[in-house]
Amino acid sequence: MNAFSKVHPGVASVYFLGILLFSMFVMNPVLELLTLLGGLLFCSSLPGDKKGLGGYFGMILIMALVNPLFSHNGVTPLFFMNGNAVTLEALAYGAAMGVMLGGVLLWCRSFSLLMTSEKLVYLVGRGCPKLAVVLSSALRYVPMLKRQARRVERAQRAAGLFGPDNRADRLRASLRVWAVLVSWSLENGVETARSMAARGYGLRGRTNYGNVSFTLRDGVLLGVVAALSGGVLAGLLAGELAFSWYPALVWREPGPLGAGSYVCFGALALLPVCLEWEERIRWNYSRSKI
Amino acid sequence: MKKYVSAALLLLMVPAVVVLGATVFRDKQYAFVSLAVAVLACGAFFLSFERRETGPIRLVLLAVMTALSVAGRLLFAVLPGFKPVTAMVVLTAMYFGGEAGFLTGALTAVLSNFYFGQGPWTPFQMVTWGLLGFVAGLLRNRLKASRLFLALYGAVAGVAFSLLMDVWTAVWIDGTLTLSRYLAAVATSGGYMLLYALSNVIFLLLLRKPMGEILGRIQKKYGIT
Repeated sequence: MNAFSKVHPGVASVYFLGILLFSMFVMNPVLELLTLLGGLLFCSSLPGDKKGLGGYFGMILIMALVNPLFSHNGVTPLFFMNGNAVTLEALAYGAAMGVMLGGVLLWCRSFSLLMTSEKLVYLVGRGCPKLAVVLSSALRYVPMLKRQARRVERAQRAAGLFGPDNRADRLRASLRVWAVLVSWSLENGVETARSMAARGYGLRGRTNYGNVSFTLRDGVLLGVVAALSGGVLAGLLAGELAFSWYPALVWREPGPLGAGSYVCFGALALLPVCLEWEERIRWNYSRSKI
Repeated sequence: MKKYVSAALLLLMVPAVVVLGATVFRDKQYAFVSLAVAVLACGAFFLSFERRETGPIRLVLLAVMTALSVAGRLLFAVLPGFKPVTAMVVLTAMYFGGEAGFLTGALTAVLSNFYFGQGPWTPFQMVTWGLLGFVAGLLRNRLKASRLFLALYGAVAGVAFSLLMDVWTAVWIDGTLTLSRYLAAVATSGGYMLLYALSNVIFLLLLRKPMGEILGRIQKKYGIT
C-alpha cells in the first residue's frame, strides 16, 4: 500500500496530468531530469515488478545516438559521417528526448499501477454513467473471456479437433475457439442485460456505490498541486524556462522567478515520494508510542 | 440546459487548447495541440453517446464487443501485430452502427493498454481505432454486401492505422512533422503495417460469416430488433 494510492482519484489525475504536460511539452533539460528522477523514485516505491527499470537507461542511450542520424542541425560538429555532420546539439537533443521519454513512461507506469480500473470507472461514472457501465462490464468480461477461451480450447482438444502442430491448422483451431467465444459471450451479454433490466437498471433515482471520499487531506493536496503548477506556469509564461537546442545550446540564466519555477517543479515531481516518507515517519512515530 | 453547457464548453476548449499551445507549450505546440484535440474528439463522442437514449442490451453488447477485442489482443499476443482488434471494431460497426464502432475502438485502446502499458500514445490509438470503426459504420451497407470491399477496407484500415500512429511518433519526437523522421518511422514499422493489413483481411473474411450468423441467431432468439 502506497501513501499516494489513498489520494482521491480526481486529485491524483490532476496531479499526473500536470506532471505529464510539463514534462512532455516543455523541452527543458532540468525539468526532464527532475521528471526522470521523480519517476524513478516513485516507481521504485510502488509494489510490483522492478526488473524493467534499467531498460529505460538503454532507451535514453539509443535515443541520444539515433537522433544525430536524422538531424544535422547545430553549430558544433563532432565528426562527419557519410558527408553529414554529427553535431553536439543533435546528440544533446536526442539525449533530452530519451530522458523525457524515459521519465514519461515511468510516470505512466506509476499511473497505471495507482489508477486502478476501479478508480477509472469511478471517475468516468461521475460525468458519464452509461460509459462507466460499458467500461466496467467490459473490464469484468475480459478475464471471464480469457477463462472461457481456455475452457473451449480444452473441450475442443478433448474432442480431437486440434490438429497437429501445423501453423495453418493451429490458426484455424484458434479461430474456431474464437467463434465459439464470440457466440457464447454475446448470449451471455444479452442474459446479463435482461437481468439488469429486470432489476431496474436505468430507472430514476438510482444511486451508485463508490468507495471514495474527498477528505480534507485531498483538499490540501489539491491546493499544493495547484500552487506548485502555478509557479511552474508563471516561469513558463515569462519565458524563464526557455532553452534553445538549435542551432546552439543556449541555457538561459534563471532569474528569481525562473529559479522559483524550477524549485516548484522539483517539489511537484518529488511530491509522491514526500508523501511516502511522511507516511513512514508517522508510522514509526505511532509505533514508538506503543 | 446541461447539454448546451457541455457542448459550449467543448467548443470553447478548442481555441483554449490552441492558445495554451502557442503560449505555454511553445517548444512542442504541434504535439500538444494534436494530443489535446485527440482527447477532445473522444470526449465529444462520449458525451453524445451519453445523451442518447440507450437500452441495457445495447450497452452490454457494446461492452461484450469491447471485451472481445481486448481479449483478442491478449489471446493472440504470441504473434505481435496479428490481432483481431480492428476486425472486431469493423464488425461491431457493421452490425451496431458507426457510433458503436467508435466506442468499441476507443475503449479497446484504453482497456487493452491496462495490460500492454498506458502511455502518451493511448489517446491517439483511441481516436485512430475509433475513426476506423466510425468510417466502417458509414460504409456498413457496402461492407456487408461485398466480400471484396470488406477485404479492401481491412487492408486500408491496417495501413491507415500504422501510418497515422507513425505521424504521432514523428511529431512527438521532433515537435513538428519532419519528413525524414516520418519516413524512418514508417520504414521501421513497415513490417507491422503489412501484418496489420494481412491480419485484418484474414480475420474479417473468416469472421464475417460466423458473426453475421451469431448476431442474427441472437436477434431471433431474444427478439431484439
